[in-house]
Order: sequence, then structure tokens, then C-alpha cells
Amino acid sequence: MAESQIGQHGGSERSQGAPSQLSFVASLAVRLALRFAFTLFFLTCVGCADHASRMAKVRTALDASQPKQALVALNSALDVDKAAELPKDLGGEKSLLVLDRAMVLQQLKDYGLSSRDLEIADKQIQTMDFSRNALDDIGKYAFSDDTGPYKAPAYEKLLINTINMQNYLLQGDLNGGRIEARRLAVMQKYLSQSADPAQALLGPGSYFAGFIFEKSGKPDEALRYYDEALSYASYPSLEQPILQLSTQSGYRSPRLRQALEEAGKDAASVEAPEASQASESAELLVILNYGRVPPKIARRVPIGLALTYASGALSPTDQGKANALAAQGLVTWVNYPELGAAHGQYDTPEVTLDGQTLPTEQLAAIDFEVRRAWDRVKGAVVASAITRMIARVVVGEGIRRTSSDKNLLALLLSFGAQAALTAADTPDTRSWSTLPARMSVARLRLAPGKHVISMLVRGRRETRTIVVAPGGWVAVGVTALN
Amino acid sequence: MQTLGSTPSRLLGSLLLASALFGTGCGPKAVRGENVAGLDDQAMGTGLDRRDLERMLHENMQALQSAAVIKRWEGENRPAVAVLPLRNETSEHIDSSLDALISDIETTLVNAGHVRVISLEQQPALMQQAKQQNSQGFDARNATQLGKQIGARYIVTGKVFNNDERQDGERRVQYFMFIQVLEVETADILFQNKTTVTKAIL
Repeated sequence: MAESQIGQHGGSERSQGAPSQLSFVASLAVRLALRFAFTLFFLTCVGCADHASRMAKVRTALDASQPKQALVALNSALDVDKAAELPKDLGGEKSLLVLDRAMVLQQLKDYGLSSRDLEIADKQIQTMDFSRNALDDIGKYAFSDDTGPYKAPAYEKLLINTINMQNYLLQGDLNGGRIEARRLAVMQKYLSQSADPAQALLGPGSYFAGFIFEKSGKPDEALRYYDEALSYASYPSLEQPILQLSTQSGYRSPRLRQALEEAGKDAASVEAPEASQASESAELLVILNYGRVPPKIARRVPIGLALTYASGALSPTDQGKANALAAQGLVTWVNYPELGAAHGQYDTPEVTLDGQTLPTEQLAAIDFEVRRAWDRVKGAVVASAITRMIARVVVGEGIRRTSSDKNLLALLLSFGAQAALTAADTPDTRSWSTLPARMSVARLRLAPGKHVISMLVRGRRETRTIVVAPGGWVAVGVTALN
Repeated sequence: MQTLGSTPSRLLGSLLLASALFGTGCGPKAVRGENVAGLDDQAMGTGLDRRDLERMLHENMQALQSAAVIKRWEGENRPAVAVLPLRNETSEHIDSSLDALISDIETTLVNAGHVRVISLEQQPALMQQAKQQNSQGFDARNATQLGKQIGARYIVTGKVFNNDERQDGERRVQYFMFIQVLEVETADILFQNKTTVTKAIL
């Protein structure tokens, strides 16, 4: 009907006599398109759980010390039958699930597959970092915070390489470890130039990189990495290696000089401790990852409280709009992602070598770093949720105005649009939630030969027999993600 | 600061566009390189692909063919040469790509006819030893020692370095491949050549 009417009118007639018909057609087209769009969006998004909900089964299995069950759950989420397989598509949250699987595989001591997963996810996360486009931003702005590619926080990017260095060390592969150390250095440099340097979780990564280059016979690089590690925390276990390396390399920094002085030696005249034995004795590195960082969870808070969280991150205009909407009673609650509660204190792991207790050293409390990083961005995240909430109301208003009259259909469409967008708004709870909460090491020079090492971590004891060659080294580890 | 800059009509347009994209996406499908024009031309990442490796190897082997060491080989009645794995000193996991080059170098040397090639592929234990030496850090003495074990008079090996830089939204990796010929007896470097390739995500 509408089409035949338009076809019968000439140019000038159309401009003068048909505005109401054109308006009707335009209005109808908008309504139909909107119905299509919202129906499609409802079907796509309503009922979709957020990442945290989908990971609940994995977390439960890990808490029950059932990493194999966690692996099954992750494979299922990735639509693959076994850990050796990779998903056909690594988009969306799949690369995050691959990272989660890498940690579970490390707990299961499948270091090769864990490495492969970390390397695949590393590249994918880098690509996603670069690929965020205008459409993703519109989606993030209007629909949901978890629309678009996952943008990993700085500490996660650094820990990909750190965890993978552990995997290579535990396989005795210094070459793979060096590649990961170099990748870590690229990321560290990038973060120090373009982001808050405090976000760079330097300690553990630099510690392992230093160890890798020390054992690769590259004292300059080793000292440089150890120096970076010391900028994060003072690690007593580095005292002897730094003394030893300082006899082979002239690399010095104020921190290294201080470390050498504190060790009671002059950097210039230092004689290698047990230098003669150093080439003969072997070295043991024990890597302990335990606990789990808190996951992000979906939270719903009153608008007033949300505005308090977001103060400072929200523009005065949006703050005013939000206050006005709240005063009218149009908006009462805001959905946003929140970091869950941390476990708290962990028992110190116990390590014995041939029955003798070894001191362990905590490299990093990753759960604290995650909390610190979250606290820095929380205001902006809540502000984003409020902005989306305002956008929903604006969309509803837009639809009502697009319709010619304030009729019932327009009002229904307006409410429908707001309801659709509200339903689609799932807070972005994506995060690498299988990261260990704590990372510790034990390090010891020992006589070459056969030794028995026992490790008790999070209630789980593992005993292993190791054989170390003269001048050699060996790394053993336990990952307990419960 | 979060701002709300879009008009309602822009948002409506965005909704329609996003919905259309949700509805019209199609899944990946497997293809053959010969059926898709230019499939090998497109870079898929910052690693080294077949085209990069072929180019770098071709340039290096061309340089070798015109080097003085070839005249020396011609005067020695096809001396025994072994090709050892190239060292990966980059920030990319390209070891398998570099391993593939060993056979390519052997093929080029065999077909040129100046030398007899002793292939390490037939001696997995020695190949493992060579890789282990690379893993622990390269030492020319170890390489030439291995050459003696194999019975080679010369060894061809190499190394790949990179300069890896990242900025907002971009990453550039510059690769430098060195190919060397070493005399086993003296560990002298008789030939060395460098080729470069740059890969980036822009």
C-alpha cells in the first residue's frame, strides 16, 4: 500500500503533498527495523551468562582439588574433546578460557600443552588489544561492558610470559625460556612507556628471566633482569647469584651495588663465593604457585552508591543526567563487575630436601596486585556502567520521538528498547581467574647426584626424586589452584 | 572522563548495524593455497612464515655461492659439511621454522655440488645434542666439537635475532638472520652473511 502510493506521486507533488505518508513509511520502517534489531539482540544476549558464571564449574572443581574435572569443564567450554585440541575460533572469551586451561594444565604437569596454550593466547590477546574497533566501542557503550574483544590488564599480559617461563624451566628448556623472557621485556618496555608503570608486575617475571639467562651463561642479561626484580622487592635468595654473577659481568646499577654492599662485599673486589665449587655444585629451583586470584563477579548497586564509586571518573554532564534520572525514579540500580573477595592468608608452603627443611621465598602476592589494579580502574568501570544506563534511557527517548505521536505503540517500543538493552547489559566479568594467588620459590646450591624433594602446598604433598649433574640445575614445581 | 556524545539516532543506527553483524556472520572454512590467489602473500602474524624464510635463505645462499669459501671447497674435492640448527635469539617461537631451514640449506649445498653433506637428521642423538648446546647458549667450540664428532670438516650454522618494539596499536619485529660457515679444525668463521625481514601488526 505504502509503496504504490509513493509510486504514483511526482517530484513536486511528493515534496508538497506526501509528508505525512512519508513520515508514516519512515516511522513504519524504523519500527520494523527496531523490532528486528531488538528481537535479534534479545535472542543473542538474553539468557547469556557472564564469564564468571560460566567459570563457576571450573572454580568449584579446582577448589575440590579436582584439576582433571576442571580441565573437562574448560574443554567443554572451548568446544573441544581434549586438551591437545584448540578451538576453531579464538575470538570472544575463548582466548581467556585457553589461558585458564593453561594454568590447569600446569597443575596437571602437562607443561608442553600449557606452554602451547599460553603462546596461542598471548598472540590472540595481543591481536585483540590492537583490534578494538568503533563498533566494539559502540557496543560497549550502548549494550554491555563485555561486548567486543577482551582487553587484558597489564598484570595478566606480564604473567602470561612469567607462567610460560616457569613451564619452560620445569621442562629444562632454556631456549624457550629465553624467548618468553624477551617477550616479557618487550611488554615491560611497552607498559613502562604507555601505561602506569606501577601496573607492571615486574618481580616474578624478572626473577625467572634472570635465572634463565644465568643458566644460559649470559651474566649481563641475568644481572639486568635480577636488577629489575629487585626494583619490585628485595629477594634474599638473589644475594648469592648476584655475587657470583658480579665476578663475570661489569653490569652495575645503584640497586645492584647496594645489594652487593649489603652482602658485605665490595662490588669491585668481590671474590665469587665458593667459586671453585660453583662450577661443580648444582642448583635446585623450586617453583610454587598456589591459591587463586579472586574472580570478577556481577554486582548490582543502587544508583546513589554507584555515583559515589564513579565520582571523579564521570563527566559533570553525565553525573547531572544520572542524578536527574535517579530523581525521576527512572533508574534505581546499576549493574557492574566487581572483584570478588580474596581468600586472605595462605599457609606457607613447606619444602624439604633429603629431609632438611628449605626456606621458601614469596615472589609475589598476585591477589594483592590484582586488587590494587582493580581499585585503580573501578571508578571508570562503574562510570561506564552508569553511562550505559543513561544511554538506555536516551535510546528509549529517541524511539519515542522518532514515532510521530506520543501514542501507545511508541511508548511500548520505548520501554521495549530499554528493556532489551537492560537485559543485554552483562557486566564484564572476564578475567584470568585461574591465576595463582601467590608465587614462591626455594633455591639452593646442592651437591650433584640424587636427592629426594618433598613439597607441601595447600594441603597437597608431592615427593620427587631428582638427579642433578655437576654444574647443572634442575627446576621442580607444584601448582595448587585450590 | 566518560562522556555521552552520541545522539539517539546514531545509537539507533549502531543498534541496527550491530544486529546486522550478529546475524550475518559466517564461520571459517578450510581452503587450499593453490585455490586461493595470494593466500601465501598475506602475513598472519609477526612470526616468520614460508615466504620470509625462503627469501632470507635465498639471499644468504646466493651470497654463499659467490663467497671465497666456495673456491676453497672446490679445491678440496668435496669436503664433508654438516648443517647445524640455527639459534633462535628472537622473541618469537620460530624454532620449528628454523629447523625446516636445515633441510633447505642441505638441499642447496647438495645441488650446488661443491661439498658432501652429512645430514644430522639421520643421527637424532647428535641433532638433540646440537639443540641442547643451542639451548644452553652458543659456544663455537661446542659447535666445532660436534662437527668433529660427526666427521665434518666444515659446519654451516646460523642465528636469528630480532628487534621487537610495540607501541599503541602497533607491533614491529625486525629479524636479522646470519648464516655462517665455520672450519671445524680452527673454529674460524670463513663466511658470514646477514639478511633482514620486517614483520608488523599495524
